[in-house]
Amino acid sequence: MSTSFGTLLRALAHGRVDFIVVGGIAAAVHGASRSTYDLDVVYARSSENIERLADAVGPLEPYLRGAPPGLPFRLDRTTIGRGLNFTLVTSAGDLDLLGEIVGGGGYAELLPHSEPVTVFGVECRCLSLDALIAVKRAAGRVKDFEVLAELEAIRDEKRRAR
Amino acid sequence: MAALEIPVSFEPDPVIQVYMRDIDLTQVRERLKLTPAERLLMLQQFIIDLEAIRGAGQRQA
Repeated sequence: MSTSFGTLLRALAHGRVDFIVVGGIAAAVHGASRSTYDLDVVYARSSENIERLADAVGPLEPYLRGAPPGLPFRLDRTTIGRGLNFTLVTSAGDLDLLGEIVGGGGYAELLPHSEPVTVFGVECRCLSLDALIAVKRAAGRVKDFEVLAELEAIRDEKRRAR
Repeated sequence: MAALEIPVSFEPDPVIQVYMRDIDLTQVRERLKLTPAERLLMLQQFIIDLEAIRGAGQRQA
């Protein structure tokens, strides 16, 4: 099943969840060509937001990605509160809910380095190009080198166009 | 403004510079002409098409 990014983003936005799009979808927003199959978001860890997040994602039947079927897993506010990062499969595709990311920290740290974008008919916040480059550099993963090169080329192109 | 855990660096990374040699700038420039919404729609359509191709391949196997 392919991930419906629009369905996932609308669920979060309509549920008034405070979140920032990061990862491959953020890279695509800025113009990267690499394909990605999941949506990565950093969510605010306030108790109110955790409750909104559980309510928004609950109807999408979230389950731990790669886990054997039948585990007594429920993505409710208690589960989210006790955990931090969740890699999920949902009825709308793969969704990673991140309390923190390497090099970037949590929602509060990332918020000033995010920008509003309107995609799939909803307005949400997306990590800025500079911050995305910074966190991918910090992560230092070999698999990110190609997209990092593309993001830096995009940054160069944008500077040249100014 | 809250600081990122690591500062945003504008210094070229020699390893990334090597990877940058293979970037097709004509494609980068074309994508930059699109809006963010158009870029994501293109990605979504690519994934749907890929899934259809995979499905067709599995049916033939």
